[in-house]
Amino acid sequence: MDLRILSQSDLSAIMQIETALFGSEAWSEETMSSELITPHSYYIGVFDPSLVGYAGLRLAPADFAADVLTIGVAASKQGKGIGRRLMDALLLHAKRQGAEQVFLEVKESNASAISLYKSLGFEQIDLRKRYYQPSGENAVVMKLVIQQPIVLGIESSCDETGVGIVRGNRLLANALHSSMTEHAKYGGVVPEVAARAHLEALSPTLGQALLDAGIKIEQVDAIAVANGPGLAGALMVGIGAAKGLAVATNKPIYAVNHLVGHIGADVLEKGSVELPTIALLVSGGHTSLLLVRDLLDDVVLLGETIDDAAGEAFDKVARLLGLPYPGGPQIDKQAATGDPKAIKFPRGLMLPKDLAEHKYNFSFSGLKTAVARYVEKAELEGTEISKADVAASFREAVIDVLLTKAIWACEEYKIPRLLLGGGVVANARLRDEAQRRCDAAGIELRIPRFSLCTDNGAMIAALGAQLVMAGRKPSGLGFGAESTLSVTTIQTP
Amino acid sequence: MLLSIDTSHGTSAAVFADECLSFVAIDDLFTHAESIGLAIEQALQQADVSVEQLTAVAVGRGPAPYTGLRVGMAAATSLSKARSLPLYGVITLDAIANSISDKDLLVVTDAKRKELFAATYKAGNRLLGPMLITAEELTNYPGFELIQQPCNAKLIGQYVKKALQLGVDLSDLSALYLRSPDVTPSPGKKVSG
Repeated sequence: MDLRILSQSDLSAIMQIETALFGSEAWSEETMSSELITPHSYYIGVFDPSLVGYAGLRLAPADFAADVLTIGVAASKQGKGIGRRLMDALLLHAKRQGAEQVFLEVKESNASAISLYKSLGFEQIDLRKRYYQPSGENAVVMKLVIQQPIVLGIESSCDETGVGIVRGNRLLANALHSSMTEHAKYGGVVPEVAARAHLEALSPTLGQALLDAGIKIEQVDAIAVANGPGLAGALMVGIGAAKGLAVATNKPIYAVNHLVGHIGADVLEKGSVELPTIALLVSGGHTSLLLVRDLLDDVVLLGETIDDAAGEAFDKVARLLGLPYPGGPQIDKQAATGDPKAIKFPRGLMLPKDLAEHKYNFSFSGLKTAVARYVEKAELEGTEISKADVAASFREAVIDVLLTKAIWACEEYKIPRLLLGGGVVANARLRDEAQRRCDAAGIELRIPRFSLCTDNGAMIAALGAQLVMAGRKPSGLGFGAESTLSVTTIQTP
Repeated sequence: MLLSIDTSHGTSAAVFADECLSFVAIDDLFTHAESIGLAIEQALQQADVSVEQLTAVAVGRGPAPYTGLRVGMAAATSLSKARSLPLYGVITLDAIANSISDKDLLVVTDAKRKELFAATYKAGNRLLGPMLITAEELTNYPGFELIQQPCNAKLIGQYVKKALQLGVDLSDLSALYLRSPDVTPSPGKKVSG
């Protein structure tokens, strides 16, 4: 007997069993048809070789809950464990999707079904009188509590020391220590300064996360750590810490990809991440455009920067304008009163000749040089520049390229969904313009809250939890830092 | 039951009761992050000691080239915190001197870039250092026997056993780099003209 997900082509077979079993209380074909394609629904069937039983579940990710909507086994096939098999599959799905409780209703007279649910751990929580119509029979409401794994995640790939704790898809803590101010006098992140700061911040950040989550370390079911991409010396601090925790607690460890963590962060917002999606990750270290069909198995790098990251370009241009580090907020402040069309700065890798090879790649080095030339020319000629206009025009050039290419990707791959991540998402103009362009193109835009967009430990914990919930094997203790880790390596074994 | 960890040179871990029960060393100088978890796990296994039986953790805090040093310190920090154990920080040169003799010693380890980390000892007490010196400056300490060897977790553990009896303060847990981060603010460069 095979078990598989049901589709519209199974509709008539489902309806045959449904009407035979439930008679006047059966769902109509229209209802069943729309149920099969409702978002977050999960319908499965057992075949021997034709359909002999089916069951459906609907997830409510934002409530971390799921409802068993229907289950039916052909009368001639009952008593063979098919119902249990269907329920097992539904509950496994609910568990992997982050549900903390599963609800169902069952006829009070259906003793065998109630006994099955009780054996699976369901408990009666309510009795609804005359719930079923037209028979007027009472419904027993039952609930199953699922313990989702508590995962502690450590992030140290750049200048943020993050320790996050999640339970399944639920955020419990997101403690963060940034060494940003220590880098200010250098005008950019200095790897050795960042790595030293990680070691110092480690113990207090870990303590803060446990305090915020209100748990003891013994309650953690697994440790996750970002092992790349990022600054090698910085990553190693997090890896050392994570391995120390794993040995101390005898808990499994998961080495996860920092960039995929940025995408996974969105599960903490809505209880699930809508897939497939195009993801644009923009920070001081990365500018990457990704096609994500499956968070754990199918992430494709469509393009990335071939020189400076977008955030780096902001920092460098801020320095040219005599503004302090970090440059993003400074440029933003200046740009507020500037004219984005005042100066025509170049758009990197947007010319037709570039597109064959670099359709989804980015380049900000030329733009930065163009700003430098503009500023120096004014200095030589002794003319005043408008910092506001330079900042606004520069920012517009960056945002224009980022969003144009992201929306091209949505269109080419027919994926009407765009997820933004990374520290540059703090830029209000980027968010507003992304919303405007996505609305115009009929694309759903997802931007997690800022504390989940910048580098953070919670996103690493969330991706680790996804791996645990999917039953993936932990990493061995022997993994190292991978500064150029490919986005396709979601977990290092 | 003491777990000692050192990544000032290679990666090593040791477990001590009254005596050293196990010692695991991975001498590769470029695989600290890869080796640290395995070294600790194997040291516990070889000693037949569970992590729950540990009562204290000790770690070498340098001076040492930075990247590897931090791996052991991070692991010791998180492990001791997770198990609510005291963590002792050890100057690696002290641990080396302790393992040699009570004679007058000049203990040095490789600091890369043609420099050495150094400290002098008299009757088991540190006189000078830890400090950075050049190879030429080795002759500035006549009468001191030159000891040049790397540290490891076994030496750390042995030293802690003795230092605790003597009431030495091992509460400083800061990494000893003895150098500033290698960076100078860039003045910026012209792109035109």
